[in-house]
Amino acid sequence: MRTRFTVPGTIALALAMGTTPGVAQGAPKPVTLLNVSYDPTRELYEEFNRQFQAYWKGKTGQAVTIRQSHGGSGKQARSVIDGLEADVVTLAVAYDIDQIAEKGRWLKADWQSKLPNNSSPYTSTIVLLVRKDNPKSIKDWGDLVKPGVSVITPNPKTSGGARWNYLAAWAWALRQPGGNDATAKAFVTRLYKNVPVLDAGARGSTTTFVERGIGDVLLAWENEALLAIKELGPGKFEIVTPSISILAEPPVAVVDRVAGKRGTKPVAEAYLEYLYSEPGQEIAAKNFYRPRLGSVAAKYQSQFPKVELITVDGVFGGWKKAHQTHFADGALFDQIYQPGR
Amino acid sequence: MSGVRQWVSGLGLAVGSVIVTPHVMAQTAVSATDGVNGDTSSLESRVDALDQQIKILQRLRELAADSAAAAAKDRQSATANAKDGFSLKSADGQYTLKIRGYAQADGRFFVSDDASAVADNFFLRRARPILEATVGRYFGFRIMPDFGQGQVALFDAYWEGKFTPAFNVRAGKFKPPIGYERLQSATDVNFAERGLPTNLVPSRDVGLQVGGEVSSAALEYQLGIFNGATDLANADADLNDSKDLAARVLVQPFKQGTLRGVGIGLSGSTGMEQGNATATDLAGYRSASQQTFFRYRSDPLVAGNTVVAEGRRSRLSPHAYVGLGSFGVLAEYVLNRQEVNRAGTVATLTHRAWQASGSYFLTGEYAGFRSPTPKKPFDLKAGTFGAIELAARYGELDIDDDAFPVFANPTSAASKAKGLGLGVNWHLNKQIKLVVSYEHTTFEGGATDGDRASEDFVVTRFQHSF
Repeated sequence: MRTRFTVPGTIALALAMGTTPGVAQGAPKPVTLLNVSYDPTRELYEEFNRQFQAYWKGKTGQAVTIRQSHGGSGKQARSVIDGLEADVVTLAVAYDIDQIAEKGRWLKADWQSKLPNNSSPYTSTIVLLVRKDNPKSIKDWGDLVKPGVSVITPNPKTSGGARWNYLAAWAWALRQPGGNDATAKAFVTRLYKNVPVLDAGARGSTTTFVERGIGDVLLAWENEALLAIKELGPGKFEIVTPSISILAEPPVAVVDRVAGKRGTKPVAEAYLEYLYSEPGQEIAAKNFYRPRLGSVAAKYQSQFPKVELITVDGVFGGWKKAHQTHFADGALFDQIYQPGR
Repeated sequence: MSGVRQWVSGLGLAVGSVIVTPHVMAQTAVSATDGVNGDTSSLESRVDALDQQIKILQRLRELAADSAAAAAKDRQSATANAKDGFSLKSADGQYTLKIRGYAQADGRFFVSDDASAVADNFFLRRARPILEATVGRYFGFRIMPDFGQGQVALFDAYWEGKFTPAFNVRAGKFKPPIGYERLQSATDVNFAERGLPTNLVPSRDVGLQVGGEVSSAALEYQLGIFNGATDLANADADLNDSKDLAARVLVQPFKQGTLRGVGIGLSGSTGMEQGNATATDLAGYRSASQQTFFRYRSDPLVAGNTVVAEGRRSRLSPHAYVGLGSFGVLAEYVLNRQEVNRAGTVATLTHRAWQASGSYFLTGEYAGFRSPTPKKPFDLKAGTFGAIELAARYGELDIDDDAFPVFANPTSAASKAKGLGLGVNWHLNKQIKLVVSYEHTTFEGGATDGDRASEDFVVTRFQHSF
């Protein structure tokens, strides 16, 4: 074969090949992130997003718009699995992100090792929020099953907070004299007989209790209870710290496939890493989440009462086992709570 | 509702009792005060309980309404829009059916054809309904027949598994990954017909291909195995056991900034072919007006005198697209090497073609690889008219000199074609496009007295795609 290149052909090749190098690029293109989160984190991330946007603009020159989506943690996870294009998820329980990794394969199974503290930048716990002067004299978990006490908690099938509530109550029952799985089941069954309304998420339950005036006690995230008192005044509600509660570790993760496809991975990773920084931890503490960073935790020590905190790993063998035993379809919660009965 | 009314009635009665009771009690002995307080407390408790019941019922109704609203969002949907055409979608989004299509009605005029050798024509160039479906999370298919030119032909019919952005699998009949303008949709090309290089690549082939996008589409790749279709062919079957390999990479190095529309690629194919006297596995080549200016020799009386493909066919095509705001340029080069046989005489022929095609939007739209959505779609009331695009191109196709005279007749087959095109495209909106193109093509050889007569071809097109 003879190889011939005509002059016009060479020009076409030059057009094809010679257009790339040495041309300066303009300012970074603005980018948008979607943070799919659970119910009570609205205020936290509204403040955090403003701070991060300023930080990121100053560091890289890139403008970032952050959209938020909130709902029951389980429900939010389902939406991401079904295709909601979240760049990051900040959910209530690790199991929900595991489901996104396992069923949707939107991120890798080892996602929890990507960031410190099992990818949980802040913690919280479960407390009891009662009305002024605590008219039903509720002091601990055992008081929730008394006749005439109306308890407000969301649905564990859709809400991460509700699963923490349920497990904390179960753990308390196990600790009672003669406590075992059977007595714990009986206790939690009685507790749910006193629940008149099951909201889909924690914020919905707060609305039910605080704004609609339903119930005697709200099983609430500590941050949600403190926020309610801050916004509505200490004269209307009181926090009762139970004898034991549960260490809630809400996790965060970059949704690799979405962020990779949208080209947002660097900013998404920086967004979550910034939660661990001192400014990020300060914002978490100001919004009543227990910070991980020692210096910030010491500063806000008085805000968080001391309470013995059990862990899901220690009492329930981890989230996967806890889910299968208690919250999977047909598991204990479905046996305990049957609407209409 | 009746339940709520009963509770409200009950609450009314209870409240009424509370109001009435002090008056009644005032008429009784003072010594009964303790009992009165006890009864009042009991009634207050009952009122509180009733109040709670009403609030609970109201809240349950709120939650039921919220659930109903959420369920409505998740319900199956039937939609019609510019992006997807007409579509049906399951509640979970995993099953969709899109009905789309396009049609191109042309007016074709040979203005310098004084002898009227080729008739001017109104012509239905393409009429293609498209059916696209996703079946489950990863899988889908596409079917696209064509009813244009008074014939029925199947163009696309393939199954596709989209597992990740970086890896998908396609099987069936579709465009093999060679020929840059060929890979551009017929609705997006700047002229009524594609340029001269498209002669040297196939239209559709049957095979299996893997492909995907890496690093946020900075790198795009396809690699496939195909029957090995002839140049320009829309093939459904192979003539021999050997299969062709075809591959392509496209690099889009800039995701941001002025050069974000720059893409540079290289594609190629290779395979062994074996034609015969009735199916030579060789193609004739056409000018922009779709007139054949080159064909291999064939002899209907003596089969052995017909030129057939016999041996390796390879194609190589570097290509690029540069979109700089409203100005875009597509450039491609195709080298096609084919082993041929005529009555025992064999040769390896190398044909080459190239083109550079540019367009500019007077109305400011971005000139990308795909047609834009006009900034101000045609609207008589608003006084807007859509987008106007000017287009120009130049290209050449050069037949290997060794093809003459053994494999092609120099008095009827041209050895070179040079095409200049000018055009105006009016995009009324995303769906409607009007095209006016002028193509001037000159030839070397191809006539008994020297060069084949040049062509001046004007085409008008009305295109509707949805």
